[in-house]
Amino acid sequence: MMRESRIRRIPVVLSALVALALAIVPLPSVLETVRPDFLVLVVFYWCIAQPRAGGLSLAFFSGLALDLVNGVVLGQHALALTLMAAWATNLRLRIRVFSILSQCLTVFALLTGYQFIIFWIDGATGNPVTAYSRWLAPVIGALIWPLMVGVLSKLHER
Amino acid sequence: MVAFRNADSSGRQTGLLLRCVLYCLLALGLIIVDKRYQNLLRIREWLSLAALPVQVAVASPFQGWDWFRQSVTTRDALRADKARLEGELRLAEFKLQRFDALEAETERLRSLRDNTAKVSDRFLVGDIYHVDLDPYRERVLIDKGARDGVYVGQAVLDAGGVFGQVARVGQLNSEVILISDATHAIPVQINRNGLRTIAEGTGDTGKLKLPYLPTSADVQVGDLIVTSGLGTTTDSGFPAGYPVGTVTEVKRDPSQSLADIDIKPAAALDRSRQLMFVWTKATPPPIPVPAALPPEPKEPRQPKASKSKAAAKPAEAAKPAEAQAKDADAQPKTGTTP
Repeated sequence: MMRESRIRRIPVVLSALVALALAIVPLPSVLETVRPDFLVLVVFYWCIAQPRAGGLSLAFFSGLALDLVNGVVLGQHALALTLMAAWATNLRLRIRVFSILSQCLTVFALLTGYQFIIFWIDGATGNPVTAYSRWLAPVIGALIWPLMVGVLSKLHER
Repeated sequence: MVAFRNADSSGRQTGLLLRCVLYCLLALGLIIVDKRYQNLLRIREWLSLAALPVQVAVASPFQGWDWFRQSVTTRDALRADKARLEGELRLAEFKLQRFDALEAETERLRSLRDNTAKVSDRFLVGDIYHVDLDPYRERVLIDKGARDGVYVGQAVLDAGGVFGQVARVGQLNSEVILISDATHAIPVQINRNGLRTIAEGTGDTGKLKLPYLPTSADVQVGDLIVTSGLGTTTDSGFPAGYPVGTVTEVKRDPSQSLADIDIKPAAALDRSRQLMFVWTKATPPPIPVPAALPPEPKEPRQPKASKSKAAAKPAEAAKPAEAQAKDADAQPKTGTTP
C-alpha cells in the first residue's frame, strides 16, 4: 500500500491526537458550546490535502474516538465523520484551488452536514438535543478553517 | 467517481464509494449494537480503555495544577482551613451523636414489620476527571469503573446530597448522569409531609422541576425534597432518604391543573470534584481487599440478627466485615461511614 515514501502518517496521527485532546480539554461552560470541532477539521484537512495519508480510515477511527470521549452512542460521530470525509475527499481537487473564502463556505457546508447527521442520530437514539447553539459549531469551525490550514500545512511538505 | 479515481498523483485508489459504504455500515452496526445490545456485548467497557490515555493526558495538567496550588499555600491559609474544618467536624459530630441510636431503632421498628430496608450503605469515593463530555448532556467522567464494582444505575452522591447515577461503566472509569440532565428523573418525596412525586432535570445545573404535582398539592418554598427510595427494587435506583434539594419557587396558575415547582439541588452539581458511589444492591459486588489486611480470625458465621446490627460497630471493623460479607450472607453488609 505505502510504496511512496512521500506519504508520512506520523504528522497525521499526531495532529489527530492533539485535536482529540482539544476536544475534551475542560472549558468554562459558557465557552463549551462554541468549542469548534477541531478533530473534524483536522480530518477534513487531511482528506483534502493528502487523501492517501489517512483517508476514510482516519475519519472512521477519529469519529469512534470522539464517540468514546464524548460518551455518546458508539458509531454516531464515526458515521457522520465518515460520510462527510468521503464528501470532502470527493471534492478535494476543487477545494484545493478554491479561494480561502470559498474554502470556508465549503467547510461550513461539510460541518453543517456533519452536525445534522449527529443531530439526527441523537434524535433516533432517544436523546434529542434541540438547543439552537449546536448549529453555532459549524460557523465557528468555518471561521477557524484558515487557521487550521495555516498550522497543518506546516506539517507536510508540499 | 471514475473521473477522479486516477486524477490523484498517486494512482490507484480503491473505490472511495466502496470504502465509504463499508465504514458507514460498520458505524450503523455499532450504533445498533451499542443501543440495543449494550448488556450483551460489553464492547464499550473495553473500548473505553483505549480512550483513557488521552483523557488522563488532558486531565493531568489540571490535576498537577491543583496539586501545585495545594502544596504552595501559606501557613495562615492552612490554619484558617484547619479552624474551619474543625468547626465543621464538630458540628457534624454533634449531629451524628444520636445517629447510631436512631439507626438501630429504625431497623428494630422495620424488622417488626418484616420490612428490612437498610439505613446504612456502603460507599466508595471517586474523583471527577478534568475532561469535558458532550456539552449538551449533563454528564461527568469518574475515575472508578467496573473494576471497583461500580455498576450501571448506581446512585452517586456528593457531600450535599444526591448527585446522579451511573450511566455507563468502563473498566477503569465510568460516566455519571447528573440529576439535572434534561432526560433524568428521580423519585422523590417531600420531607415535611411525605408527598411522593418525581423530580426532573432541566438541563440547567442550578434547577430541577417537580412537574407532576397538582396546584392543590401541599408544597411550600423551603421544603426539603428527599429521595423516596421507590424503584430501588431492581439493581438500579436511589436509596431512600438522601436530600435532593429545596423548593425555591411554587407557581400556581389557577387555569392549569399542575403546579410549576422549582427545586435548587442540594448537591453542588457544577462544583463538586469528589463523589460517593453508594451500594444498595442485595449482593454486594466484589470488593477490592487491601493487601495489607491482616488475616481474618476464623469466627463461626453467625446469622446476623438484624436487631443488634452494625449500629454499635466501630468504623474500623467495617472493612474485614465487608470482605467476609461476600459469602457470609446475601444481605448487603456494609461499613457505615458515619
